[in-house]
Amino acid sequence: MTTPSSTSMTAPAPTGAGDTEGVRVAAIAAGRSNRLPGWFVILWRNGKCRFGLWMLLAFVLVAVFAPVIAPYGPRVDDFGLSEGPTGAHWLGTTARGEDVFSQIVYGARTSLLVGTVAGVLSTIVATAVGLTAGYLQGTVDEVLSFFINLGLVVPVLPLMITLAAYSPVKGLGLIIAVITVTGWAFGARIKRAQIITLRTRDYVTAAKFAGDGTARIIAYEIAPNMMSLIVVGFMGSALGAIGAEAGLAFLGLGDPATTSWGTMLNQASMGGAMTTGQWAWLVAPGIVLALLITAFTLINFGVDALSNPHLRED
Amino acid sequence: MTYFVRRAGFFLATLWAAVTLNFLIPRLQPGDPAQAILSRLTGKSQAVDPAQLEAVRKMLGAPDGNLLAQYGDYLGALAHGQFGISYTYYPYTVTDVIGDAIPWTLVLVGVTQILSFFIGTVLGAWAAYRRNTRADSWITLGSTFVGTLPFFWLALLLIFVFAITLRWFPDGGGYGGGSQPGWNWLFFSDAFQHSVLPGLSLLITGPIGWILGMRNNMVQTLGEDYARLARAKGLSRRRIALTYGARIAILPNVTGFAIALGSILGGTVLVETIFNYPGMGRLLLEAVSNKDFPLMQTLFLFTTVGVLIANFLADVAYGFLDPRVRRTEAA
Amino acid sequence: MTLLEVENLSVTYSPRDSAAVRAVDKVDFGIEEGEFVGLLGESGCGKSTLGHAILRLLEKPAAITGGSITFDGRDITHLDEDELRPLRWADLSTVFQSSMNSLNPVITVREQFADTFAAHPEAAGDRPDVDARAGELLEMVSLGRDVLRRYPHELSGGMKQRVALALALALRPRFVLLDEPTTGLDVVVQRDILDRLRELQRKLGFAVLFISHDLGTVMEMADRVMVMYAGEIVEDQPAGDMIESQLHPYSAGLLGSYADPRDEVVQVAFVPGRPPDLSREHAGCLFEPRCPVSVDACRTEHPELLPAGRGQARCLLVEQSPDDGALLRDVAPTDRLGGVFSADSEPRARGAADTEPVMVVDGVGKTYRTKRGVRTTTTRAVDDVSFALRPGRVSALVGQSGSGKTTIARLITGVERPSSGTIRFKDTRVDTLRRRAMRRYRRHVQLVFQDPFSALNPTRTIAYALGRPLRNHLGMTGEQARQRAAELLETVGLSPAEQYLDKLPGQLSGGQRQRVVIARALAPQPEVIVADEPISMLDVSIRAEIVELLDRLVRERGIAMLYITHDLLSARLLADEVMVLNQGVMVEHGPTLEVIGQARDAYTRRLLAAIPRPGRSRESWPDEPPNEAERVPAGS
Repeated sequence: MTTPSSTSMTAPAPTGAGDTEGVRVAAIAAGRSNRLPGWFVILWRNGKCRFGLWMLLAFVLVAVFAPVIAPYGPRVDDFGLSEGPTGAHWLGTTARGEDVFSQIVYGARTSLLVGTVAGVLSTIVATAVGLTAGYLQGTVDEVLSFFINLGLVVPVLPLMITLAAYSPVKGLGLIIAVITVTGWAFGARIKRAQIITLRTRDYVTAAKFAGDGTARIIAYEIAPNMMSLIVVGFMGSALGAIGAEAGLAFLGLGDPATTSWGTMLNQASMGGAMTTGQWAWLVAPGIVLALLITAFTLINFGVDALSNPHLRED
Repeated sequence: MTYFVRRAGFFLATLWAAVTLNFLIPRLQPGDPAQAILSRLTGKSQAVDPAQLEAVRKMLGAPDGNLLAQYGDYLGALAHGQFGISYTYYPYTVTDVIGDAIPWTLVLVGVTQILSFFIGTVLGAWAAYRRNTRADSWITLGSTFVGTLPFFWLALLLIFVFAITLRWFPDGGGYGGGSQPGWNWLFFSDAFQHSVLPGLSLLITGPIGWILGMRNNMVQTLGEDYARLARAKGLSRRRIALTYGARIAILPNVTGFAIALGSILGGTVLVETIFNYPGMGRLLLEAVSNKDFPLMQTLFLFTTVGVLIANFLADVAYGFLDPRVRRTEAA
Repeated sequence: MTLLEVENLSVTYSPRDSAAVRAVDKVDFGIEEGEFVGLLGESGCGKSTLGHAILRLLEKPAAITGGSITFDGRDITHLDEDELRPLRWADLSTVFQSSMNSLNPVITVREQFADTFAAHPEAAGDRPDVDARAGELLEMVSLGRDVLRRYPHELSGGMKQRVALALALALRPRFVLLDEPTTGLDVVVQRDILDRLRELQRKLGFAVLFISHDLGTVMEMADRVMVMYAGEIVEDQPAGDMIESQLHPYSAGLLGSYADPRDEVVQVAFVPGRPPDLSREHAGCLFEPRCPVSVDACRTEHPELLPAGRGQARCLLVEQSPDDGALLRDVAPTDRLGGVFSADSEPRARGAADTEPVMVVDGVGKTYRTKRGVRTTTTRAVDDVSFALRPGRVSALVGQSGSGKTTIARLITGVERPSSGTIRFKDTRVDTLRRRAMRRYRRHVQLVFQDPFSALNPTRTIAYALGRPLRNHLGMTGEQARQRAAELLETVGLSPAEQYLDKLPGQLSGGQRQRVVIARALAPQPEVIVADEPISMLDVSIRAEIVELLDRLVRERGIAMLYITHDLLSARLLADEVMVLNQGVMVEHGPTLEVIGQARDAYTRRLLAAIPRPGRSRESWPDEPPNEAERVPAGS
């Protein structure tokens, strides 16, 4: 294996400058031998991260093939009420007589959908705001920075609840919108800080002298050096979105017609899962939620290595 | 001094933004906001309750005036502390209702968050100090694992185990039937009993972020030149860890604390709801489910302002802790 | 007795995900009580690693993998941290490279003295009077006592470095390790600190290991100099002897990179190539691939460090003669140099002084306003500066940091607009250009940057970097641009070009990167090139190579060049005329030899005094410039 560090004795990279650039170079070098994107190769090399990726893949498969895997429909309520786990109902039934296991399987769809869509949307918003503020500076930056800081300090869940309460429709779309509106600030702040250090690099000046325009400089000179940061940001937002969806649904602010782990927990605690002894109804959604979060956390170990070389040295 | 002036400026600006946001949210939807709210209140066939109508009018100011006039009225009402009348708790004013709830949340959140920050910082610093030892792995891996558990689900399990199965603690509420709020021993011990489980569910996951943040910061600062020089100077490990490691590593955590307050308050909404705890979070949810818009708006405003104040205080504390921002002008 | 004895010391870096690197390999030397020893080497040679090993400060993934370190008769190689602590600082202290970051940012200077005293009651006494003692130490390094109450961020770089020096001497140590103690500071401040250091060392009698890449300062400061290359000591001689004659071809190359810019004929050498990859095994001499005098045996036989003359050398070609006349066998002195670049007093065969100028700067001034709270301060960065750039000629702009030379570069490249005066490129007024016109103008005026690591995007290939100006300014297609990029690489000496086109900057050495940067500047066929300290970040042994390249390009392509520098030697080698800038005002301006030969300005003379002149013994060097060049107040 020839890594760039084998040449580092003769060509030491400037210390402290552009950590993510160094990572990006390692990523490009890593990705050269095959068709995969470099950052993915780095993630894959990390054992914990690889395990997390397998877990995530399992969740994705369950979500995609939910109708095949689930023995019943999530809303079929022809069964006994609040039954404990049996051979026919592995995780028992709800107070309305639905199959808990089937709901768990279908619930994966909701969590992954919200995580992906809200994660992508808030990453886009964060990147756009952060890049604009950091690159343009001046008044634009001051105005945008103010909004970023405002977005950081405003209590998120109360804002989500208030926004959700006013909305005329309830549903997944609303939840995704609310999470996006409230969840972009942190990523934007980090990206702004990063671009401010990157934009003063000599190679950006050089690109100007080479006749490149602002858009091209951002897209070709700056963005590639921020790729790992964008991946980090996406992972964080997706994780936050999954948690927020579960929380909102648990509070009863979700769409009661959608099957989600949060809604299940809400119905379990309302439906007396604790008093009837149908513990599986209460425990199962929490465990799968924890497993999904674990998958993301494990992947984050690799992502941390992407964004913070200090931690790679341990 | 500039630092504090700037932070105060930011505080005032965010305060204004929060107040304006609070004004704008109900008006975001198309059409006349009062009409929209009323139609949602009344549903399809019900008649409009006069109390509700009154409450909505109060909240929105003069619905027929233009937006600017409404905004003026709204600011005027705020300045006089008039937040309207709660529909749920009619005829009590919103301020009365919230005033009863504030101490509960303040104590619960205040105590658990300060404890979390303290525990997290100490454990994180310890892990960094004992880096790559077993203590470090236990702390890091343990907190990573606990961090993956959804904390409102933990709260449900706590109720299931300690309140319903073991019956060690009450399963909800702020105090029992036997006591009345007041300055007496019975009430305090009862309130404490009721706060154990909600407090615990906040304390289990609360320190995680601080632990991992502190550890990473401190590992980084201990790798800096000044920490290496401190070693070369022959300072004791303790002195290096405290003055050259933790003392500097804690700074980002202080700003982090300021920023995290917003999301911490979100967490209390869940906990208070689960434990039926008589604080502002539960009140907010109650207001939402009863469509008590004046109460909801005011609660949102109060929590936001509360967070902003706490944030400002944390910024001020940061200014005292970090000489670099305190005396920028001398440089 | 020898104070510090290093025997057979090896240090290996074993990173988790790449091959182990032998950074220090079987190093042997001793330092006597009160001796001042220099350790000279270029980036990556292992000198700082060796320093850290001696102080027992190595951290993972680096570790001592062999040999021993004995201090005052005590083996400290394997002492644990608790056993080391009493020795630290009281006996062995240090000043780090980049002391910018070696003071704790959140406690005052006084506290950093106080904790040093408190950690060593045996050396400092039980209840030391911190204010009195620390104040005294600060005065010793020419700082006021009020610095005690300050935080590090309130001090300038030079002041921090003085504090670090005072701190190092706080417990009267017997040995002080100085690792590039003045790198990054302005020449004048540097000089001041080093003079003070030498004075203190004579007075207090501590031994010093002075690690630096800066040959001039090492030669001037040290009694004895060791030269390190690729993890090994290749030469160890008294400084005076080394100046007279170098034993190892590498040292010869290093010393050959200096000359007196006032001489009639100035000749400097360079060592082509780059150091070896230490993660691999090498059979022969590590310097062999770059060595101009190597023989067949050098490829297979690894030389030992053997006595030669009054010192030692690691070279098969050095004769082991018993008398003092150790020399490289059978090699004429001039052949020992890999490459030579020279400039004589005759006008160069380039553009004439009366050619029509392409660029005229007339009475230009630049004022910056900084708002801090309610107060606004105005700084006059450049004041009424006029000059012209002519095809085929190089104008050097010399000045210390903060003198306004970079501002001038920004003004003529159109990055900033002047507050007064005019800048003309042929018939175009540069100072009034708008966006689109500015982009067109930049085709004709290109930049060569100081830092080759920051000047190339680490994620873009060389072909991309060179292709952009070709496509944008010359309207070439992808295939044409690639073709031309290859030609450009050949022009700047990166040959065969195909080998470089698809590489990333990280795969090139600093010198190669700088060549790419120059190629990119050439790409749109500019008429003016602004080179901002293009060699100051490069290793000494390859600097002259780049100077030669720039000289050739100016000559062959008739380019007008503004060469910004603080280095009078390179200015002498390259420039036809020299302008000296001091606090935004042009204080001297004239033909190179005239300005350098009869420098009137105090700053110019200080710069001249800072250039090492090997070949003359130290005693014969002229003293400091006259006293009218008053001591520059710290922190200015």
